[in-house]
Amino acid sequence: MPDTHVIETHQLTKRFGDFHAVEALDLNVRSNQITGFLGRNGAGKSTTIKMLLGMTHPTSGTGALLGRSIDDPRANREARRHVAYVAEDKQLYGYLTVEELIRFTRSFYADWRPDVAARLLATYQLPPQRKVRALSKGMRTKLALLLALSRQPELLILDEPSEGLDPVGIEELLQTLVGAASEGTTIFFSSHQLPEVERIADRVCIVDHGVLVEDFALDALREDYRRITFGFAAAAPDDELLIPGIRRVRRAGRQLSLVVSGNAEAVAARGRSMNAVTVDVAPISLREVFLESVQDDA
Amino acid sequence: MMLWYKAWRESRVRFLASSVALAVICASFVFLHRDVSPGMSDEPLTYPVYIWHITYKGYLRELFLFLTIFLGLGGLTRERDLHTIGYTLALPVSRFRLLAVRSAVGAVEVVLLATLPAILLPVLSPLVGQTYPPSQAWGFAILWATVGTLTYAMGLLASVLFGGEFTAPVAACSGLLGYSLLADMSGAKRYLSDIHDVMSGLDMPYFTEQTGLLSGPLPWATLLAVTLGTALLVVIGLCVTNRQDF
Repeated sequence: MPDTHVIETHQLTKRFGDFHAVEALDLNVRSNQITGFLGRNGAGKSTTIKMLLGMTHPTSGTGALLGRSIDDPRANREARRHVAYVAEDKQLYGYLTVEELIRFTRSFYADWRPDVAARLLATYQLPPQRKVRALSKGMRTKLALLLALSRQPELLILDEPSEGLDPVGIEELLQTLVGAASEGTTIFFSSHQLPEVERIADRVCIVDHGVLVEDFALDALREDYRRITFGFAAAAPDDELLIPGIRRVRRAGRQLSLVVSGNAEAVAARGRSMNAVTVDVAPISLREVFLESVQDDA
Repeated sequence: MMLWYKAWRESRVRFLASSVALAVICASFVFLHRDVSPGMSDEPLTYPVYIWHITYKGYLRELFLFLTIFLGLGGLTRERDLHTIGYTLALPVSRFRLLAVRSAVGAVEVVLLATLPAILLPVLSPLVGQTYPPSQAWGFAILWATVGTLTYAMGLLASVLFGGEFTAPVAACSGLLGYSLLADMSGAKRYLSDIHDVMSGLDMPYFTEQTGLLSGPLPWATLLAVTLGTALLVVIGLCVTNRQDF
């Protein structure tokens, strides 16, 4: 099912008093892909995820998780049977042992895979008899991942999954996520670690101030996105550049810097026609797109 | 089944500590009977009157009520403070079921706490050369269990409304105190029973203060009203929980 959406929101909004946590969010996450969900702290990533999982009620708008409405508690509960979730803080029941928590979690899911759980328990070197409260943050993160990955969920949602992991743990995590995706699990994860996202994600969604500001495939970023810089002899002209594909325009003195998602040749030609002294067309990294996306609104 | 286990594990320490506290104090009252009783009244008290004064109307009753409120604390709002809420609410389980299971486990624990004096008093009294009728002890156990589930529900509702570790018990105790004050006001007395008095039988037609014994049929209508009050508090808790954002 290459073109179905596992997450769909339409004008999804969440306000806490005067604070607009999520504003008219139209988000579509395709199945069988790894989608990175990026944004600054407080951009609305966790609130969006909480609304999808029925933890927080939307103020307005609609959404669907695996085709089931997030507004209908019964439908959302049914969707959660097929969704694994790793929360941002990875806190689990401290009064249970690792083994007890695995047994507890297993009882709720028909798709539990004991062999995978045993393998991950050994790989992550988690002590089965140790109380969860006695685990380090890194081990707790691994346990949360074990609980999510020991099933074969249709959708795996992770909120800052690599937080608290050392470099080796992060590497294991990324490989595990790629492995899960190759087995057919759709992955949707929020992160601040752009290199990690760039390494494994197929697609990226960027939110800022609760609004979706970018949604693109990383292949498109590599192939079509460019930074084009025009240098002028005098101050950069403030002509409007009405060319499709221009995402951002920034004027600074005698320079005009643009981010384009296509049409780079046409935009460069337009710069020359504006008497630009220099025209520089360069590939752009995810980090640059991210900063451009969130700094404009800052 | 594992939700029951979770509810039990979350309340286990509190329940066991409460049981030990109640049992130790109850046993102390029995064994210290000869030392404590003379100081309680100018005239010698019969053993059932002594037991009634010190347990069913006295310290043990207040301790029991406090412990039931204590047992009611916890739940999803508390889990939000402990940051385990994301894990719990991601489970394919309704909030209704989470709270209902917790309420049921708590109610069973309250009933067990209420039966502790009913078991200990008749068993321990012969050790100090006294007897306490089991029928009396079980009569009071029914009164305590019914009222105890109400105060448990107060603790539960306070926990739903206020997540703080100290806010919820203070709110529940204040609610209990407020209700007692209201019930003691002259205008309200016709419509409300002070739950302390329902537990002890003080000024109630089913109890004789001179003998310290239950002397008539238990107040089933009052107990039903208390149970309905308990159910109402739990239902309010469920409705609030369903609307909450975590």
